[in-house]
Amino acid sequence: MLNTRKFKLIFAIFLLAGGLLISCKKKKVEEPDAVFNKKELLINLADNVIMPAMSSFQSSIVALEIELTSLENTPTLGQFDNFKNAWKSAYLSWQHIKIFDFGPIKNAGFKSATATYPCDSVKIINNIQSGAYNLSSIENIDAIGLTSMDYLLYQNNALADYQSTTNYRLYVRAVVDKLLNETNQVKSAWDAYRATFVESDGTASTSAFSLLVNEFTRDFELAKNAKLGIPIGKQSLGILRPEYLEVRRSDFSLALLKESVVALKNTYLGASGKGFDDYLIFLEKTSLNQSIVGNFDQSINGLAAISTDFETAMTTNFSDLNNVYLIMQNQVVNIKTDMPSAFGVLITYQDNDGD
Amino acid sequence: MTRAQSFFQNIVNRQVSIAPLVTFRILFGLLLFLGTLRFLLKGWVETLYILPKFHFTYYGFSWIKPLPDSWMYLPFIVLLIFCLFLVFGFLYRITTAVLFLTFTYIELLDKTTYLNHYYFVSIVLFLLMFISAAKYYSVDNLIFSRKTQPLVAAWEINLLKFQIALVYIFAGLAKLNYDWLFKAQPLKIWLQANHNIPIVGSLLQQKETAFIFSWFGCIYDLFIVFFLLKSSTRPIAYLFVVVFHLITWLLFPIGLFPWIMICITTIYFSPIWHQKFLNRLKTIFKTDKNELSVFQEKPVKNKKLVYTLLSVFIFLQIAIPLRYLAYPGNLYWNEEGFRFSWRVMLMHKQGNATFYIEDKNRRIEIDNSDYLTEFQEDQMSTQADMQIQYAKYLQQQFSDTILKFNETEIHLKNPKVYADIFVTLNGRPSQRFINEKIDLSQQNYNLKHRNWVMPLNEMKTTE
Repeated sequence: MLNTRKFKLIFAIFLLAGGLLISCKKKKVEEPDAVFNKKELLINLADNVIMPAMSSFQSSIVALEIELTSLENTPTLGQFDNFKNAWKSAYLSWQHIKIFDFGPIKNAGFKSATATYPCDSVKIINNIQSGAYNLSSIENIDAIGLTSMDYLLYQNNALADYQSTTNYRLYVRAVVDKLLNETNQVKSAWDAYRATFVESDGTASTSAFSLLVNEFTRDFELAKNAKLGIPIGKQSLGILRPEYLEVRRSDFSLALLKESVVALKNTYLGASGKGFDDYLIFLEKTSLNQSIVGNFDQSINGLAAISTDFETAMTTNFSDLNNVYLIMQNQVVNIKTDMPSAFGVLITYQDNDGD
Repeated sequence: MTRAQSFFQNIVNRQVSIAPLVTFRILFGLLLFLGTLRFLLKGWVETLYILPKFHFTYYGFSWIKPLPDSWMYLPFIVLLIFCLFLVFGFLYRITTAVLFLTFTYIELLDKTTYLNHYYFVSIVLFLLMFISAAKYYSVDNLIFSRKTQPLVAAWEINLLKFQIALVYIFAGLAKLNYDWLFKAQPLKIWLQANHNIPIVGSLLQQKETAFIFSWFGCIYDLFIVFFLLKSSTRPIAYLFVVVFHLITWLLFPIGLFPWIMICITTIYFSPIWHQKFLNRLKTIFKTDKNELSVFQEKPVKNKKLVYTLLSVFIFLQIAIPLRYLAYPGNLYWNEEGFRFSWRVMLMHKQGNATFYIEDKNRRIEIDNSDYLTEFQEDQMSTQADMQIQYAKYLQQQFSDTILKFNETEIHLKNPKVYADIFVTLNGRPSQRFINEKIDLSQQNYNLKHRNWVMPLNEMKTTE
């Protein structure tokens, strides 16, 4: 009696193991397409989102440098305006880069060197006056990059100071040269990193896919908090803090916020190829996907509907800004909780065991 | 003697070969050594114990504090040294006590890092203090020139077997739930993410695979011990142990746990196997050449004390994992009575918690990264007891403080703490986790049911 029972149990276990093998084999033959390959997503993101963004940012910085050379040759109001416009398009283009703060961008500290905001005008003034500065030092992180030009080009006497002060001109030149130099380095580093990136489709917290999801989420939260929430008083008991606007003097902060959300949406969709949206649909999370896409559109439309500059809107259109903030807050839950959970990606870099 | 008495005599008092305990001591000591070394090399002492400004202590253990700065490395170095002492059986009683206290001290510092297998290590170290695993083939034996005592009371081995059995059986019982068996969750989520594994990868995105893994895992956990106990099924059962844990090691980030189980389940092997194993070690290391002597009956001293302690321990080990029955609501959602219950790899929970400091209807939205590490934030977002601790900590930070925003100065006297928390459990759409209208800092942190946690809404599982 005992022996047959034992035999049966062992047999059952073998059946299970056998069943595993058989069902595996069968599936493999019948439904080869019913699989979502994260590598394809990574390839699409690299080739149709990140690398094009990188190229276009590089061109915009090259253009910025060319405009600067022209300005140095003919420091006129017209040329100063051309330079400002080149700065604006470079800064818009930057919104498509800053999402990907891992790999070469992280290693070079490119994100903080390019756009730590708001810039510290006191540091910039001191640097210009002393004429002796190390722009690579950590203290100068908010006195360089695209953000520093909000002061350098838009402070009240910007053109006059530029025309009259050698140190001022040298400082603008140093900032742009540093930016160009780093952009070129990061661009070529990314060209080399692409192969590593597309292969790293595993589940480890250090895999490119995990980094991508994590940084995407982080950048969205940063846009919500730093570009919008802090200035409209979300962390200060409702007291408005225009001094924390990304680029207060140029009145360009609203455009940057909108472009940032546009860039995040584009990343989410994988431009027109395989993106997070396709992965969610594969995982039968269509309504989550719809909610995320709808939320992006609502945020973008909400921002587009504001016709004044950011600082004016903070008093005249506060509820519009606040509504966008609330929409983005809902989006954080979607993309920080539901989406990574469906992907099986942990929202933490901290390498750690689970059980 | 009645049948019951003789059974009792057999599993408690009978004098048996010490060999399985010696193997256990050596393997467990080595694994703990490797685990500690790995922990140090991964830089976790810094990220888990030195960097955090705030620690989520266990209820009743808030007096346990980390050592200042780099001194935090000290307990880990102590562990390394004493693990080797354990392997060689040097100053055994002191060694096991030091290991138990040091390891448990580290674990009690912050519940963020709670893992069932750390708890298991603590329990085993506790048991080893009472078990004579170093009477044979040990440094103690050499230097104190004691006579080799190749026999121990059967309970000393059976207690460890019992403890391992509890881990498996409770882990198996925990899998008898709807999500695991009928939705194949969370395995469905975890397996599909591993599609990049060569050859079998694409299968991991098939629903059938997740179901087979779920059911197999459940049956394995429930019954493996019984097959390990029977000598006739033991070889096959052990093969299953090895394969099962290797698969989990390959697929999931669970550290050394699979290796611990693979190594220590050898305790179910026969004493003869262990004698051969030790004899082989002796030949390799050219140590003691004596064979183990034959078993003989020997009476145990202080029987009553042993029985009482054993009974209390066994009772607690069975009662603690069952304490969840005393709480209402969904166990996985509320996590009341969740820890210390061998609920291993049972849920995929992720959350987002936004905390607010409120004073006179005006709010400060908290950036959690100002106070917590990412890992702490991640764990806190889904666990209501940690949310209370955090809320109280935030309240302390802001109460009776003067804040200056531009020209405006605000004196926060006794601010309230609210939170918008959304959690997703096993692939369900995220839903609100706690009542957002409740001042969390005013809730008591205790072991009672937390009624401000919103009930899990099962209607929202349509996706």
